[in-house]
Amino acid sequence: MLKLHYNLEKVSMGLVVAIIVAASIGGIVEIAPLFRIDETVQLPEDLRPNTPLELAGREIFIREGCYACHSQMVRSLGDELDRYGPYSLAAESAYDHPMLWGSKRTGPDLARLGEKYSDDWHVAHLIDPRAVVPASIMPAYPWLMRPLDTGLLRDGLATLARLGVPYDEAQIAAAPADALAQSRPDSTEAEGFIERWGEEIALRDFDGDPARLTEMDALVAYLQSLGRLTDAPYRLMAAEEGAQ
Amino acid sequence: MSAHRDQPPEVDPVTGYDTTGHDWNGIKELNTPFPRIVIWALVITFVYSVIAWVLLPAFPWGRDYTRGLLGLDQRELAVEQFRKMDAVRQDWLPRFADADYAALAGDEALMAQAMPAAARLFQDNCAACHGATGDGGPGFPVLSDGYWLWGGDPETIAETLRYGINATHPDTRIAEMPSFNWMSREERAAMASHVAGMLDGRSDPDSAAGVSFVENCAACHGEAGEGGLDIGAPSLIDEAVIYGQDRASVMRTLFDGRAGVMPAWEGRLSEAEIGLLALYVSGLSRADAEDAQ
Amino acid sequence: MKAIATLTRPERGTALLLSIGLAVLGLVMAAVARQGVMATHGMMAVALGLFLSVALAGAMNEPEPPADRLHRYYDAPTRFGIGLTLIWAVIGMGVGVWVAALLYWPEGTPPWPWTSFGRLRPVHTSGVIFGFGGNALIATSFHVLQRTSRARLADSVSPWFILIGFNLFCLWAASGYLMGSTQSKEYAEAEWYADIWLVVVWVTYFVLYIRTLARRNEPHIYVANWYYMAFILVVAMLHIVNNIALPVNLGTAESFPVWAGVQDAMIQWWYGHNAVAFFLTAGFLGMLYYFLPVRSGRPIWSYRLSIISFWGIVFFYIWVGSHHLHYTALPYWVQTLGMTFSVMLLVPSWASAGNAIATLNGAWHKVRDDATLRFMFVAAVFYGLSTFEGSFLAIRPVNSLSHYTDWTVGHVHSGTLGWVAMIVFGAIYTLVPQLSGRETMAWPRAIEWHFWLAVGGTLIYVVSMWNAGITQGLMWRAYDEGGALSYSFIETVEAMAPYYLLRTIGGGMFLTGAILCALNCRATFRDAPALPDTSERPLSPQPAE
Ligand code: HEC
Ligand code: HEC
Ligand code: HEC
Ligand code: HEM
Ligand code: HEM
Ligand SMILES: [Ca+2]
Ligand SMILES: [Ca+2]
Ligand SMILES: [Cu+2]
Repeated sequence: MLKLHYNLEKVSMGLVVAIIVAASIGGIVEIAPLFRIDETVQLPEDLRPNTPLELAGREIFIREGCYACHSQMVRSLGDELDRYGPYSLAAESAYDHPMLWGSKRTGPDLARLGEKYSDDWHVAHLIDPRAVVPASIMPAYPWLMRPLDTGLLRDGLATLARLGVPYDEAQIAAAPADALAQSRPDSTEAEGFIERWGEEIALRDFDGDPARLTEMDALVAYLQSLGRLTDAPYRLMAAEEGAQ
Repeated sequence: MSAHRDQPPEVDPVTGYDTTGHDWNGIKELNTPFPRIVIWALVITFVYSVIAWVLLPAFPWGRDYTRGLLGLDQRELAVEQFRKMDAVRQDWLPRFADADYAALAGDEALMAQAMPAAARLFQDNCAACHGATGDGGPGFPVLSDGYWLWGGDPETIAETLRYGINATHPDTRIAEMPSFNWMSREERAAMASHVAGMLDGRSDPDSAAGVSFVENCAACHGEAGEGGLDIGAPSLIDEAVIYGQDRASVMRTLFDGRAGVMPAWEGRLSEAEIGLLALYVSGLSRADAEDAQ
Repeated sequence: MKAIATLTRPERGTALLLSIGLAVLGLVMAAVARQGVMATHGMMAVALGLFLSVALAGAMNEPEPPADRLHRYYDAPTRFGIGLTLIWAVIGMGVGVWVAALLYWPEGTPPWPWTSFGRLRPVHTSGVIFGFGGNALIATSFHVLQRTSRARLADSVSPWFILIGFNLFCLWAASGYLMGSTQSKEYAEAEWYADIWLVVVWVTYFVLYIRTLARRNEPHIYVANWYYMAFILVVAMLHIVNNIALPVNLGTAESFPVWAGVQDAMIQWWYGHNAVAFFLTAGFLGMLYYFLPVRSGRPIWSYRLSIISFWGIVFFYIWVGSHHLHYTALPYWVQTLGMTFSVMLLVPSWASAGNAIATLNGAWHKVRDDATLRFMFVAAVFYGLSTFEGSFLAIRPVNSLSHYTDWTVGHVHSGTLGWVAMIVFGAIYTLVPQLSGRETMAWPRAIEWHFWLAVGGTLIYVVSMWNAGITQGLMWRAYDEGGALSYSFIETVEAMAPYYLLRTIGGGMFLTGAILCALNCRATFRDAPALPDTSERPLSPQPAE
């Protein structure tokens, strides 16, 4: 063995190949099967992708680096079930490019946030967290009240569709219009939105300013959708409780 | 490349080991054999790993993976942990589910047990809006002052919690203050002054605004603005205020209308936790009153 | 421009072409994007390309370097790289101290989007890992590669391309985060075109490395080069796989990674962990393997142990990324593999640390007297500490407590401050006098000051974060005797305040030391005699370039 190595050390390309081989095995064994083992991601029937407005909000969540302080992953641990709710399923982030599971909880987990607070509260909190939670150390985001740029939404949905997210042609084509429509429940466009996205989805003015479509609208719509894209985790927990 | 040959090994005076004979810009290496302890450490950690691989789910295998002899599943384990703590809570928590609140409140031992838990639940779920001590915030009602929109007995509070107000729950309570933007600006301004004055009794019920109040507002807020008609319309003659009762705030309320949202907690909190919180919240105002004395 | 004087006229021509190419590339980017982050980045490339072109064109007819240069080492790029290392150290750590302060004093955030915590945090991480760590690795690797091969770098243009290209990547990355452009993948936040650009730079780096090795005058390749090579190769592999993304359209920085959900999480942490392993560990082990024996004048304690540690590290490390995903929606079986391989990984890690410390046998008096060597010794100790801690944190039940808390942050900085930064400072204090043709640094006493500021700062930082993290983890899971959770989340936030303050102070001390180092290096380079002759040993005749 030692002799073998003694000789390997003299051949630079030999070392290169040996390093590549040694450093590939682990990754291949752990990653490739995640695409093949069916149990890894079991898509529930009721799982829906984000609407254009929510998707825009998600991009803002990423842009502002919220993931640096907030995880979106309830781990399979008793106290987390107690504090946050049902554990997260792989399926819940199946359409998430990229996933936002996070690695630090300076603030609380957000995986079960949807509909926990009102839109008004989110707006107040994001504009000045310490106005509603005096002990908060979260930064303020007053600039979110600026108009939302919907220019990239159509391309965005189309790109995601290419990556396997189930958006249909009509949804892609109407993406910018639907982003606006989702914040205008009484407008005529709202009907088209319901037709394309269904009746279950929150359709309201999220930022308290019905006249304008702002980044706040998008971010709050996204926050209200967290944990609400499928009921599967709740069904699973209920089944577990039943099995008791 | 062959210009340079290995040098003969030399003995290092400090350790007594030979060098390998290589020399890179003065750097040499000793040919010290593997220390035993490294071999042992490798063996021990490997044995540890093999045991783990045998007992736990470990390696992928076709479209499946090895399950491990213990047959563990982290989700089942989590639910088990959760149930274990839940079992401890079974001693007292379920009593809050369908309860005779008066009896519960009388059971001092039980309350000593339950109130810290209620306080934690309140901090994690309610304090964001109602404040850490229930003293409200801009747009969110005070819970500790003894004035209620829907009623301060635990039964009513529990119902409010379960279904929410203007929430997404199908049985939600509805409390909408319609917009009076059809009024002229002058009319709204007069009305705002009138309402702002109701707090200290400065307003005149016989003025034009007073008459308009009875016509337009009394249905919800009561003839004298006393509220309490079980439709969530606040009293306008006490200092319990959600949005502010100064002229400017009332102007806004009149123009935009209001429909504050209190989320529904059914589903997120258990029936027992809702009961527990209801008692806790009803106690907030009592605690406040006692403080005041 | 002294650097241009080291190039021959044809080399200046090549460099000029490359600079013009960069300006054109930037122009194309700016034209395609028309607005937004990508256009700004295009204009940055144009400015850099034009600046370099003008400098080169202006110096085209300056005297050429002496013909005997091929018999000397080529150290100008190393000197430049060390300068960049120090600039990034001050930027990256300065931002680190600032974000640390923001967590204690959130009201201090100015009302501009680009000063917000979430945007600054990746500026800190990329700034220190890539800007500070990356430049240090590239600069020292050029030095080590030449000395241990007794060969001059294979050509004189590509080292500059690598350094300038790499720093353009760092600049694109950091300025992108400030403007809100990020892929959110930790340590890989830079957007798609920056990622592609880095691949080009990295391939050049590999080719230069392998070509220089091919000219070596020693039959054996020294251990330091094994590590530097593992660093270059594996980082390339990780970077490419983790960053594959579809741009929303070619005119915008926005993109969607092709991976989603659980597969994305696994690939991200396969990358993320091995960014630690091959960027923050393997490369710096290469540095340690060169500068420690040089400074202590001792032979490496065991060649055989080096072999076992090297292959152990290369093989085991790649398996352990899943320890970042314990108890998550990642299947249990992958977590078991991550946990067990992390435990096995401890052996080669400690073998390296032990090999380094045993190398100091017979040189302990030097450790006592020489702050520079003491930096390296402390680095080896912290390397041992943080890898032990890492393997411990990788055990699932331990991780259930530590994950998501500041304990992780404590572990990170015991590795990055205690190990990475210390070894860099040790290497810099060894190199800079040598590259300046001097016996010592300009202010030798400042090294001692720096050493104690760094050690003190690290200890304060790490100990306060251990306390913070363990407190936080225990509070999150504490139940009262009635079976109800004891603490609300906000109470755990409030409990962190004193630790966050302490961390800011410790970080401030560390930063002060780093600034001292930067000033000391500047003074040393300033006072350098004309280009020193840095061919300690005769080079063998080089093939014509
Ligand atoms: C510096 C860290 C930090 C950053 C960055 C941050 N937060 Fe927070 N967040 C916190 C802390 C601490 C809390 C808990 C105190 C509070 O409620 O304000 C919190 C609470 C929250 C809550 C309430 C969660 C709950 O269940 O009570 C939401 C929602 C939230 N943040 C959203 C965001 C969004 C959206 C962003 C980005 C635009 C963001 N946060 C950025 C630290 C942060
Ligand atoms: C998103 C903000 C929000 C949260 C979280 C919230 N509330 Fe409320 N709550 C409100 C608002 C707004 C109202 C008043 C609704 C209205 O305007 O009619 C209200 C009303 C109430 C009332 C009725 C008061 C009355 O006078 O009748 C009670 C009781 C109450 N909340 C208790 C709670 C408790 C207990 C919790 C936690 C489990 C909670 N709230 C969480 C916003 C919130
Ligand atoms: C359909 C019933 C209804 C009518 C009619 C109505 N209100 Fe209200 N009003 C409400 C409700 C319900 C609320 C509480 C809304 C909330 O909490 O979001 C409210 C809130 C208010 C408030 C805010 C109180 C506070 O605590 O901040 C004012 C002021 C007010 N109403 C004045 C008026 C006046 C003046 C009129 C007549 C011009 C009027 N209302 C007519 C139902 C009504
Ligand atoms: C002056 C010294 C430094 C200070 C004050 C400092 C401060 C910080 C702070 C406040 C954070 C964010 C933690 C959080 O989000 O809770 C952080 C994260 C980080 N820092 Fe530093 N830092 C310093 C030096 C360094 C150096 C030298 C490196 C690397 C070489 C480094 C690498 C990192 C990394 C990788 C993270 C991310 C950790 C994670 O995601 O868990 N830091 N640092
Ligand atoms: C044997 C060696 C090591 C092992 C097994 C190891 C293991 C771990 C574990 C288990 C975590 C926590 C994951 C989590 O809970 O999220 C972690 C985080 C981290 N470690 Fe290590 N570690 C090792 C060495 C090091 C060294 C030497 C450094 C730095 C030089 C380092 C840098 C980091 C960083 C930056 C993170 C934070 C990642 C993130 O969440 O952003 N590690 N490591
Ligand atoms: Ca992290
Ligand atoms: Ca990237
Ligand atoms: Cu790791």
